[in-house]
Amino acid sequence: MRAIKFVVLGLVLALFASTASAQTITFGASLQLTGSLANTGRYYKDAFQMAVDTINKAGGVKVGDTTYQLALKILDNQSDNNLAVRQYTQLLTQDKVDFLLGPYASGTVMVTSAVAEKYQVPMIEGGGASGQIFSRGYKYIFGTLPAAGSYFRSTIDMMGKLDPAVKTIGLLYADDSFDTSVAEGTRALVDHAGMQVTVDERYSTDASDFSTVISQLKSKNPDAVLVAGHETEVLNFIRQAKSLNFSPKLYSFTVGVPTADFRQALGSDANYAFGMTPWLPLASLKDAYFGDAAQFAAAYQQRFGYAPDYHAASGVADVEAFVKALEAAGTTEPKAVRDAIANVSFQSLYGHVAFGANGQIDLPQTVIQVQDGKLATVFNGTDFETQPMYPMPAWSAR
Amino acid sequence: MLVLQVLTNGILLGGLYAVVALGLALVWGVLDIINLAHGAFIMLGGYLTYYLFTGLGLDPFASLPLVMLAMFVLGYLIQWGLLNFLVRAPMFNMLLVTFGIDVVLTYLAQIMFSADLRTIRPAYAGSNFTVGGVTVPWTNLLAFVVALLLTGLLALFLQRQRWGRAIRATAQNLGAARLHGVPPRFAYALTFGIGAALAGGAGTLYGMVAQLTPYVGVPLTAKSFAIAIIGGLDNPLGVIVGGLVLGLAEAFGSLWLGPTYRDAVSLGLLVLVLIVRPTGILGRAS
Repeated sequence: MRAIKFVVLGLVLALFASTASAQTITFGASLQLTGSLANTGRYYKDAFQMAVDTINKAGGVKVGDTTYQLALKILDNQSDNNLAVRQYTQLLTQDKVDFLLGPYASGTVMVTSAVAEKYQVPMIEGGGASGQIFSRGYKYIFGTLPAAGSYFRSTIDMMGKLDPAVKTIGLLYADDSFDTSVAEGTRALVDHAGMQVTVDERYSTDASDFSTVISQLKSKNPDAVLVAGHETEVLNFIRQAKSLNFSPKLYSFTVGVPTADFRQALGSDANYAFGMTPWLPLASLKDAYFGDAAQFAAAYQQRFGYAPDYHAASGVADVEAFVKALEAAGTTEPKAVRDAIANVSFQSLYGHVAFGANGQIDLPQTVIQVQDGKLATVFNGTDFETQPMYPMPAWSAR
Repeated sequence: MLVLQVLTNGILLGGLYAVVALGLALVWGVLDIINLAHGAFIMLGGYLTYYLFTGLGLDPFASLPLVMLAMFVLGYLIQWGLLNFLVRAPMFNMLLVTFGIDVVLTYLAQIMFSADLRTIRPAYAGSNFTVGGVTVPWTNLLAFVVALLLTGLLALFLQRQRWGRAIRATAQNLGAARLHGVPPRFAYALTFGIGAALAGGAGTLYGMVAQLTPYVGVPLTAKSFAIAIIGGLDNPLGVIVGGLVLGLAEAFGSLWLGPTYRDAVSLGLLVLVLIVRPTGILGRAS
């Protein structure tokens, strides 16, 4: 008797599940939940989850005459690009997800976006900024991180206004897709600003020893050092710069500086480091689902126990861009949705979301600096918002 | 002046490399086990030091013996309770099992410690002194001294101590060692325990000059593997030579060829040693 009850219960549940799935749009993603990039991968998992939950709570998405709930299918690619490619293929062929959300990091987006292109299912990604992703003429990849080549644009604009003036630059970058793009863009920007690159070194990704490069920089002594790399490398660079007594007038890093993790790992040694972010949790960034960016940041901190940075905001923008495009397309047919994504234009907690012809967003980078253990917004691209702490004193004088 | 500075950097880096590889070389040389979990042991030693430092305020150098003791116990138990059963199995099985231990430890570490980057920062971290224009970081110098000390102690133990000699005897001729009353199970567990203790000590030093994440293990195992081959397995001093050679090659390779060729330099060196002196620089010709 009990067995029959369970069978009936099971059937009823199965029925519910199947009717529910008919009204569900599922986003698939293969993310770095474990492995060397897990530290940043978590932003995307949590941001996607939070966006989907919030949009569902607000009633879901109206596509044509049907209202859909959103669902997520997230796999862990263990920070392995080959596994990520297999998982995106699996998401489309076996799990039959409707659309794709992208993984973290340019290299991973580079290879996995080919899956989206092959199956002609749009992927919106918030984790890859390299120009290489968007220079291949692909139609089904859209990105919400600003172009790698212009990461240092606002920093170089700011350096032009500093006193004493910055004349010489040391450029140090990792040898992956994203950082090579940053370096190419930066050389042109430095030239244009009338400054000179005096040290230009590419290092192997995951390098932990920077002592030789730092000694070289020290002997050439450029005014400013710009580093494009990954967070562990940036931490190693700063710690070894301290232990080798190297302090240029200014140094700036593409990653790390906006995160709480960075300031925690370095303590007071994080001070004076410049960085950049396309996003800050400002109340002026209004959003249809979250109110504004400040409210989003508070809710995110409350739910996940750590503060969001631009990776998380970019992830939310990915989901919202899909929602806007689905509403505009009035169908869930991938090709129509793809065309609608290309034309979205809306305000979000991340900023104004609209994609260029190549599929990439254009957002200005705000220059930030760690000042007395806190993040200060220094330069917004045209004006100073806070006085920069410049020039950086010698390590012994701190 | 730059060359002198780079020379100093290379030597200090080499000392750290030596201590990182010491445990792996010992276990490999004596037990013929390539311990793929070696890097994970280093990672655990680092986290242990980190929590002793942040939780109890214990100075990393003071916690070194404690960490080594704890890791010795862990290593002893792993060999005694698990690997001893596989001693006669084909080498491939041993590789698989130690790889499995690595995976388990790495993911346990992610669950327990999270993927956040941890640094061990005592007040003197990053302080340095300058001699004739060459800047020498204190932490790296101390790590270098500790590396020499540990290697020296290990060499003395293996040469002079009764149990050290028993370990070498077991490695050279199991049958003869047993006839002389050496219990092989105990000798194996002792060796693996010492290997793990050395890895733990390396973790303490590594954590002071680099960041800890649950994932630092695999690259460290790979580096240790290269150093052990370059230096040779017969003698702990070979590891010092291997570490120094690799440290200097990377430092000068970085200076002359560019830092992007770091891996090309170290792996090129590895291939060269395998061709010219397959038993390592200090290894006996076979």
